Amino acid sequence: MSEPLVEAKHLNVRRQGGLVLDNVSLTLGERDFITLIGPNGAGKSVLLRHLLKLESSESGSVIHRQGLRIGYLPERFQIDPSLPMPVKRFLALNNKLTNDQIVELAAETDCENLLDKPLVGLSGGELQRVLLARALSNDPHVLMLDEPAQNLDVSGQLRFYELIDALFEKRQLSVLMVSHDLHMVMNSTRQVVCLYHHICCSGAPDSVARDPEFIQMFGNEMAQMMAVYQHSHAHDHTHDHDHTHLHEMKP
Amino acid sequence: MMTPMLMTALALALLAGPLGCFVVWRRMAYFGDGLAHSALLGVAVGLIAGMSNQIGMILAAVLFAVMLLWLRTQRLLATDTLLGILAHAALSFGVVAMALLGFEDAEVHDYLLGSLDNVSADSLVYVVLGCGLALGLLMRLWPGLLLMTTSEELAHAEGVPVRVYEFLLMLLLGIVVAGAVQIVGILLITSLLIIPASTARLIARQPETMAIGGSVMAALGMLGGLPVSEALNVPLGPAIVTLTVAMFLMVLSARLLAERLNLIN
Repeated sequence: MSEPLVEAKHLNVRRQGGLVLDNVSLTLGERDFITLIGPNGAGKSVLLRHLLKLESSESGSVIHRQGLRIGYLPERFQIDPSLPMPVKRFLALNNKLTNDQIVELAAETDCENLLDKPLVGLSGGELQRVLLARALSNDPHVLMLDEPAQNLDVSGQLRFYELIDALFEKRQLSVLMVSHDLHMVMNSTRQVVCLYHHICCSGAPDSVARDPEFIQMFGNEMAQMMAVYQHSHAHDHTHDHDHTHLHEMKP
Repeated sequence: MMTPMLMTALALALLAGPLGCFVVWRRMAYFGDGLAHSALLGVAVGLIAGMSNQIGMILAAVLFAVMLLWLRTQRLLATDTLLGILAHAALSFGVVAMALLGFEDAEVHDYLLGSLDNVSADSLVYVVLGCGLALGLLMRLWPGLLLMTTSEELAHAEGVPVRVYEFLLMLLLGIVVAGAVQIVGILLITSLLIIPASTARLIARQPETMAIGGSVMAALGMLGGLPVSEALNVPLGPAIVTLTVAMFLMVLSARLLAERLNLIN
């Protein structure tokens, strides 16, 4: 068993009197793909921010493996229109990437045609792909994504999740993602962690879907829908490379 | 007499360009105003402590920035409100202190609106040295500052010490304020930062071109303002700012015209 990349132990975070994170422990190892789900206000983003060490908790600890590089895609990104910033310049900010490396990076997240455009004025989907390229710019061991597809339309969401899948395979990195898109999350064989201040349940999507706490949280109907969906796509679960199930869903 | 004045003005213009960009990008206009107001208090404090005006003003600026950053972490009032309280407190304390110390109204007026008489050969060394150091520091911080201006969270996650950078940016602004108070005056310092940078924004596609463009615009305003002020016998600060506004309007018209003619999109 190799050393974990990121390990949170017994995190407690209190905000305005309430306990946002209640004794949360989480381990992210090499080649893990964990999706964090939970209702609004469950503390998902707060947990992510602690795992990134953007904030520190009053008790508990977050340990990063020595020399760990994290690529981060923040939930909110708003650039002031007064700042002239072409995509290419943004990708090269505060690092030593060469022009060729930038072009290569942009091609990887499907945004090489945006390089000369200003950051202000990109569409939601374009901006997310640029931010993903930025998250990859330090050749990270871990990608941490905070609701990366929340402002995209359905086809944009599919495209974005496919991109992350492809990166997970190609780059041999680990992914920790906060997501609201249950139907996308539950469609993969990966590990799901369901958070509501404490960790309610975790494991493969089909086992989480049967968990009483999950059913209570997201409704019986949702759980059944997941179970049906899991069942009808069971043949896909043995190989991650096959994205045909995603294409089938396109409108 | 004109030479130290010119050199001071050019050194300040060089720094005002890029710093003005950050004031625009980070929406720190009100902060710049507050910082400038604290300079008046700095003059009084400097006199009491037997220090030069510039040192007093930089100290006042640091005090102002620290107070603001600390009050902001308390999350009791909005930054906007805190700035309002601090800025006007500093201005009032400054005027009261200067009156008690026996300053004439005319002298206070010169600090508020700038004056040719304010700049001496002695202070030139301070200002040029200060601007040189500030410019060096700014160039070192530039990539990190740009990243945190684009996204503070990203910068933080990528290891930029954002709180330190933010404080250093405020310190740099304090230096520019301390240098520029004599020339453009407390009331108009923010415009020397904002207007040239905004003019450059109209033609720039890269952050660096906007910064350099800002410096050029500020320098032109200073170079033009000095003889205008002397020839027409009008206060120096308003003369300089009037010229920068005129340049802004010209560039804006040119841009709108070019857009209309579909020369640029």
